[in-house]
Amino acid sequence: MASLPEPVISVIRLSKVYHSGFRMKRIRALDDISLEVEKGEIFGFLGPNGAGKTTLIKILMGLTEPTSGTAQVFGRPPRDAKAKARLGFLPESPYFYDHLTAREFLVLAARLSAVTKSETAGRVTGLLRLLRMENAADIQMRGFSRGMLQRVGIAQALVADPELVVLDEPMGGLDPIGRKEFRDVIVDLRDRGKTVFFSTHILSDVEMICDRVGIVIEGRMVEVGRLSEILTGDVESIEVTVRGVTGKTQKILERVSQHSLRSGDELLLTVKGEEEVDRIMAISREVGGIRVVGIVPHRRTLEDFFMAHVAKAGRSRD
Amino acid sequence: MIDRISGIALNTFRESVRDKVLVTLIIFAVVVMGSSRVIQPLALGEEAKIIKDIGLSAITLFCVLISILVGGRIVYREVERRTIYIMLAKPVRRWEFILGKYLGLMAVLVVSLVVMTAAFYLILLVLGVGAPLYLLLAVLMTLFELAILTAVAVLFSSFSTPITGAVFTFAVYFVGHMSRDLKLLAAISPSPVVKAVSYFSYYVLPNLANFNIRPEVVYGVPLGPSALLLPGLYALVYAATVLLISAAIFNRREF
Repeated sequence: MASLPEPVISVIRLSKVYHSGFRMKRIRALDDISLEVEKGEIFGFLGPNGAGKTTLIKILMGLTEPTSGTAQVFGRPPRDAKAKARLGFLPESPYFYDHLTAREFLVLAARLSAVTKSETAGRVTGLLRLLRMENAADIQMRGFSRGMLQRVGIAQALVADPELVVLDEPMGGLDPIGRKEFRDVIVDLRDRGKTVFFSTHILSDVEMICDRVGIVIEGRMVEVGRLSEILTGDVESIEVTVRGVTGKTQKILERVSQHSLRSGDELLLTVKGEEEVDRIMAISREVGGIRVVGIVPHRRTLEDFFMAHVAKAGRSRD
Repeated sequence: MIDRISGIALNTFRESVRDKVLVTLIIFAVVVMGSSRVIQPLALGEEAKIIKDIGLSAITLFCVLISILVGGRIVYREVERRTIYIMLAKPVRRWEFILGKYLGLMAVLVVSLVVMTAAFYLILLVLGVGAPLYLLLAVLMTLFELAILTAVAVLFSSFSTPITGAVFTFAVYFVGHMSRDLKLLAAISPSPVVKAVSYFSYYVLPNLANFNIRPEVVYGVPLGPSALLLPGLYALVYAATVLLISAAIFNRREF
């Protein structure tokens, strides 16, 4: 019997409770979270700020311990050096050593990850070139901008050519060009067979590049799955644009639509489904002088989905 | 393992020597040694001894300050700036991290000692008061003392803030130099609490007075090999024990 390939990340019923402040108030950062990340996929871990994303990543990196449940990376406990040897990690808003140069730091990162001395120089130079940092490679990092630090951060995560790359809010604080470059780097990693796990609160990043997503709200996983499964692809509404509309024809058309917007002789109608579109077409044939010039179906976006869940969590709390 | 520890140590060394704090302290030490010339008129024929004593004391004092000030924030800073996330996500064991930080700081102290001692000998030669090599024994003893003190600084740094850590490390230094008085206090005090605290401090805190051989070298008192070997061994064992405790505490920490 062929055994299933082992998941790269496996989280089973994980909870984390912090005690904070003078009265040791209990804060439940993670509540019974389970997920698996398979080899070769880009997994987006999505949630609003403070949802518990960083807490889960810290547990996966062996920086903190769960209160209950288990987390495994490559089938090993997160603090196992053998697991850590196969992954690269970029924390949120990374900060490095002020008085080291980018090159010195990358050489250190390579050394700590057991990259051989003969390979190190080539790897470091290659990454500096990939991230267009050659000019800044030999100056101390204290004057680096946010974007530059982020580049050093991804370079140190990739220096040992790891199988798994974990990125905490990698696009945070980057300009649109920087975000595009980061997306390219992530997609390139997947194309080379690597697994990428990244957290974000920016929906467009996820929609563009993720194979699967997990949505976490207030420490609870509300949905895990393929984007195509979560966003079923059902058409929620259709926008029909009609030209040459007069006051009389507008009244006739509005009987069919849920919502309308007039601009000059153009009328934008929002309708439920294809049946309504057919009726508008029929009306346009019967009534002279009007013409359908556009039909745009609207599918459910990740944003709609996300907002609905955030609203639901808010209601259940009240 | 060696590669990882030495990598962290080299990183710590580079960070520290490029920091202004270290350079400032070394310059101050040299200024203090040089200014011992000013008090010469007060010394009535003992100037050579006084200049040597002030010079050696300045070397010790400023290295102790470096150990406490740089050592006190050495681990804390990594946590505060979250560089620790990156370091510990690499295949680095936590004890390797602590040992690397310690060895890097010791390398900084060795270099500081060498620079200050070179300046000290230069001052002695310029002043023409004689620069015998056996004064170096006192510097070696300072290095042993620093090995203990730096381990204590790293211990406090691994779980407390730099200011708390510096205050506690300084307290250990201060009490460590009063070991004999503590034992005496424990023997003569009628209060059982004072007795217990004094005995506890005497046995647990390092006995740092043993490392002060400045009067002996300045006055040319001959020293046997055991006067160096035993403190050296004591420093090694004590520092290793403190580092083990630091590693155990650090191992349980959550970030």
